[in-house]
Amino acid sequence: MKISILFGTESGNAEMLCDDLKDELDAEHNVEIASFADVTPDDLDVDTYHILVTSTHGNGDLPAAAAEFVDAVEEQEPNLAGVTFSVFGLGDMVFEETFNQGSETLMNAILARNATLIGERGMHDASTGEMPEDIAIPWLQECLSKLLDEAA
Amino acid sequence: MTHSIAIVGAGPAGCYTAQAMRKTLKDAEITVIDRLPVPYGLVRYGVAADHQGTKGITRQFARVFERQDVALLGNVELGRDLQLDDLRGMMDAVVLATGLYADRPLGVPGDDLKGVYGSGTVTRFWNAHPDDADLAPELGKKVVVVGNGNVAMDIVRILGKGEGDFDGSDIDLEQIKHEVSEIHVVGRSDLGSAKFDIAMVKELAGLDNLGCSIAPGDQFEDTPISQAVNEVVAGSDAQAPIQVVFHSGWSCDHVEGADGQVAALHLKRTGGDDTKVLECDSIVSAIGFGSSGNVDRDSFAQSPTLIENGFIEDGLFATGWLRRGPNGTIPANRADALEVAATVTQWLEGREPGSGEGRAGLLAATKNTATNYDDWLAIDAHETQTAPDNRTRKKLRHMSDMMDIINNARG
Repeated sequence: MKISILFGTESGNAEMLCDDLKDELDAEHNVEIASFADVTPDDLDVDTYHILVTSTHGNGDLPAAAAEFVDAVEEQEPNLAGVTFSVFGLGDMVFEETFNQGSETLMNAILARNATLIGERGMHDASTGEMPEDIAIPWLQECLSKLLDEAA
Repeated sequence: MTHSIAIVGAGPAGCYTAQAMRKTLKDAEITVIDRLPVPYGLVRYGVAADHQGTKGITRQFARVFERQDVALLGNVELGRDLQLDDLRGMMDAVVLATGLYADRPLGVPGDDLKGVYGSGTVTRFWNAHPDDADLAPELGKKVVVVGNGNVAMDIVRILGKGEGDFDGSDIDLEQIKHEVSEIHVVGRSDLGSAKFDIAMVKELAGLDNLGCSIAPGDQFEDTPISQAVNEVVAGSDAQAPIQVVFHSGWSCDHVEGADGQVAALHLKRTGGDDTKVLECDSIVSAIGFGSSGNVDRDSFAQSPTLIENGFIEDGLFATGWLRRGPNGTIPANRADALEVAATVTQWLEGREPGSGEGRAGLLAATKNTATNYDDWLAIDAHETQTAPDNRTRKKLRHMSDMMDIINNARG
């Protein structure tokens, strides 16, 4: 399966997590990884399963490159019917009020263009001390099995 | 032959630069040196102890040392163990990432009285930095925090937390014992243009010990920042044991002393004539940082390309706060590092590696004192294994203890 992993990051944590997800998938899939800075909404296509990973930054904001991507989606209003995607967010409950708002904004923008969300939005809370990959890899496996169910 | 590069300073600026250069200079020999045996600089010693999630970026840096063939050389200080010129002679490129260590002084009469502390000094003490391990600041009951940035907010929050609020942190409660009941936060500019992150202002709302108010009569612009402060004030408990008062638009005029000790801070309306006196037992200045020690930013700050791309002169570069000045949080240093790594990469392209001995020469020159990444892992293991309940680690506060652990582990 063609899989595209896209990350939005300010500190680099989301990029590192995506490296781990790619390692997890590489054996069985054709995986590409890119920053939101290097893609446009046109790059979301129906032949690829998209895994979108982003942190939340500042006051509940998306990282700059992911925010620009969402702006482009809202401006260009592409029809994303048939596009499959999942969303994973990095957050920190120390900043409770804005926890994981970035991943929510990203998910909603793409859902609004009729893409199909696979599984539930995954979330990591840095204040727990748990490793992001320990949460994200089981989440990803669940998403993948849901994707296969959907295809069947 | 490959290029040899040394990065001076294993804080976030240096580690991000190593990470970025490993991607652009795949074969280069990259060595990060630090004057302490423990890496990560401000992440360990500046980021507040109760923001462990923020400290999670060290996992990226650990990966740089563990998997990406970047060496850490600790306990090596420029000017003490090695001169910058000697290092430059060994390496094809040297990137300075030593940050800005010194607290900017208040710069008013009386700012040297007993009881006036720099925020960097206080946070280093709280965070168990060997330089200030024994500071034990005497803050008294009334403290004035001068500054309207996130460092000021950290100080207020740490003072305002109760014992149970520190679960999951690496703070040692013994070190932050205090009897503060009144905190005045003084900003020179309008509260509406304060540099606080809104998320950090909102964090104050969750603290039961703390009540916040705005000094009577202070006017300020209506902005997202002042709205956030107003929200915290609206939900505040006026009976809480620690009361915080925000003062908007006041500049320090002078510090009044009694018997050599701080007695009051005299304020003057910024751009006006009104005055106000805040009686206090101590003052913490959180108004920015400058360079100190053996890497003096002023000596190369005039370089026209410093801000543009980090280039100081042939073979010498700067990154992070040392390059841009004390602005921006940790992620800003990542963006910086990507730019500076590109500058170094471009500069090295087409240049043959020089005749310097690189890391081997550096190791030979520092062999009696230098520590390595495994030594840090020994300290890390000790600190996490000895952590008390509800703490992530118990930091070693003194160099001698760090060296004991290292020597034991080396056998």
